[in-house]
Amino acid sequence: MELFTYLLLSGLTTGSLYALIALGIVVVNKSTGMINFAHGELFMFSGFVAWMLHVQMGMGYLPSFAIAVAVGFLLGAVTNLIAARPMRNADVVGLVLATIGLAFVFRGAARVIWGGKGDYLSFPPITSPDPVTIAGIMVIPQQIAVLAGAIVIMLVFAAFFRLTRAGKMMQATADNAKASRLVGIRIDRIYMLSFGTGAAIAAAAAVLMAPLTLLYPDMGFSFFIKGFAAAVLGGLTSLPGAVLGGFCIGVIEALAGGYISSSFMEVSAFIVIMFVLVLRPTGLLSFGKLRQV
Amino acid sequence: MTLFGRRNVLLAMFVVAAVTPFLVNDYYLFIANTILIYVLLSIGLNVLVGYTGQLAFANAAMFGIGAYTTGLLQVRLGWPFWLAFPSGAVIATAVGLAISLPALRLKGLYLAVSTLAFAQFTQWAFLNWETVTYGAGGFKTPPISFAPLPFSKEIGLYYLSLLFVVVLFVLAQNAVRSRFGRAFVAVRDSEIAAQSLGVDLLRYKALAFGISGFYAGIAGGLYSALLNFVSPEGYDLFQMVLQKSMIVVGGLGSIVGSILGAGAIVVILEALRAVKGVQEIAFGAILVGFVLFMPGGIAGFLKAKLRGWEEPLHRTQGGRPPPSTLVTPSEKSEVRS
Repeated sequence: MELFTYLLLSGLTTGSLYALIALGIVVVNKSTGMINFAHGELFMFSGFVAWMLHVQMGMGYLPSFAIAVAVGFLLGAVTNLIAARPMRNADVVGLVLATIGLAFVFRGAARVIWGGKGDYLSFPPITSPDPVTIAGIMVIPQQIAVLAGAIVIMLVFAAFFRLTRAGKMMQATADNAKASRLVGIRIDRIYMLSFGTGAAIAAAAAVLMAPLTLLYPDMGFSFFIKGFAAAVLGGLTSLPGAVLGGFCIGVIEALAGGYISSSFMEVSAFIVIMFVLVLRPTGLLSFGKLRQV
Repeated sequence: MTLFGRRNVLLAMFVVAAVTPFLVNDYYLFIANTILIYVLLSIGLNVLVGYTGQLAFANAAMFGIGAYTTGLLQVRLGWPFWLAFPSGAVIATAVGLAISLPALRLKGLYLAVSTLAFAQFTQWAFLNWETVTYGAGGFKTPPISFAPLPFSKEIGLYYLSLLFVVVLFVLAQNAVRSRFGRAFVAVRDSEIAAQSLGVDLLRYKALAFGISGFYAGIAGGLYSALLNFVSPEGYDLFQMVLQKSMIVVGGLGSIVGSILGAGAIVVILEALRAVKGVQEIAFGAILVGFVLFMPGGIAGFLKAKLRGWEEPLHRTQGGRPPPSTLVTPSEKSEVRS
């Protein structure tokens, strides 16, 4: 039982990070109909930026967090400008290859800039590393901090999406791009905003995650795949679905790692993707909706 | 037939390839052999992506499966190379066919991601299924010999690769011009229209996946013999992006382009071997640059500038089907209202 609660909690913690990454993927997909294959690399790159600010330049955690999120937003907008916008009317092969190409540019850049200091960089924890016991359950404070941080970010994002003008315009564009253009919404800007917002959420996830694990240039892809698994589980266009999917993937992964074998942690997300895509491509939260041709 | 037409250039390339072993040292022979292996890979991938329009990312995995099967059958079961090598190709083809089953239900992005997940799964199996695959360290394969023939291993393997390239090139070139090729292009341009013309989607998608698996399996077997070593790193995502760059640089939907793209990319790769980060930046930039500014690749460029490079069914600008003045049943916009 103790093992179970421990696994459940650590699954929820990593799950909250996957949920954030999935949220970013869904925000982009919902309003532009595209998948940004460089999403994981934007996540990785922003994490490195935060490391540089926090560890190398000695800045505080919160300012580094804010700057890294801003950098993430910018990089997302740049991705839109370089790879997504010119490809909007081309077919899907071009779009995917362009964003993958960009992903490799980011990955190579991170390796050139930060790779020389040992490929794995550690980020100092922001809370004390000793576990504490709350109501009989062993808890690592860092995990609670991450979980809480992730939930705050989700709430902030939900508020942004529902309450602000920009968020409402994004919703309108997602709903019907043509009609939004007719009422005077500048679609190009909304697309850029979506890519930026998606990347900013990924950046926030990266900075939250950094104290829990190590940073390395190849981390982006495996987080992207897990975030994508979460997004697919939620149906790819549903924001609550993405969050639910993220927690599911995190918990599945932790339980598979704890009860079967630790090497199964890496692979459970891939298995979930393959099965969900083949058996139930519309995701968990869709009931009886037909797929469009 | 013009002087710099496709046929003459191909002949010249073949002559150069045939005399290469007599002119260069071992290192350059190794590079030349690597190019031949990548030519096989990119021809197979181009049939799948460029002609049939299936954006799959499993080619590196099938390449790895070919290499691992060939190597493991020799090491674990003591089979000779001449038996293990075709078995590797058969298994890779079988895996290719198996992947095509979900591909029938999935399109575009979804196919891309599920095959990516499959590729990662394969990579994971290479790494973690240690009782069979020897894990992360990889394993050495026994050196092959061309015993009755008066060749050294390097030269023998080079000519074996060249033989496969010539045979499989001609095969692919003929296949894409036949009814198979037309069916592939029909599937690429509009699945609904293709079906209404009587093209069996399952059959032709499976065929395209099988062809790419077969080519990758052959390439994998040759590659394991070339390196005498098999390890998981050779078959990762970077390998996949490398192969994608080859067909994009060469030209999507052009068999000749695959040869040019593979040659160009391997040469650049060798020139930048020193720093991995720089390699990644260069390839990423090449991929983005070609997709944005030269969607027809080198083959498209040559076709526009030189006479004698016309190819039937070649994909034109922007990766979209060529606009035709005739309203053919494969017009995408007509069907998808």
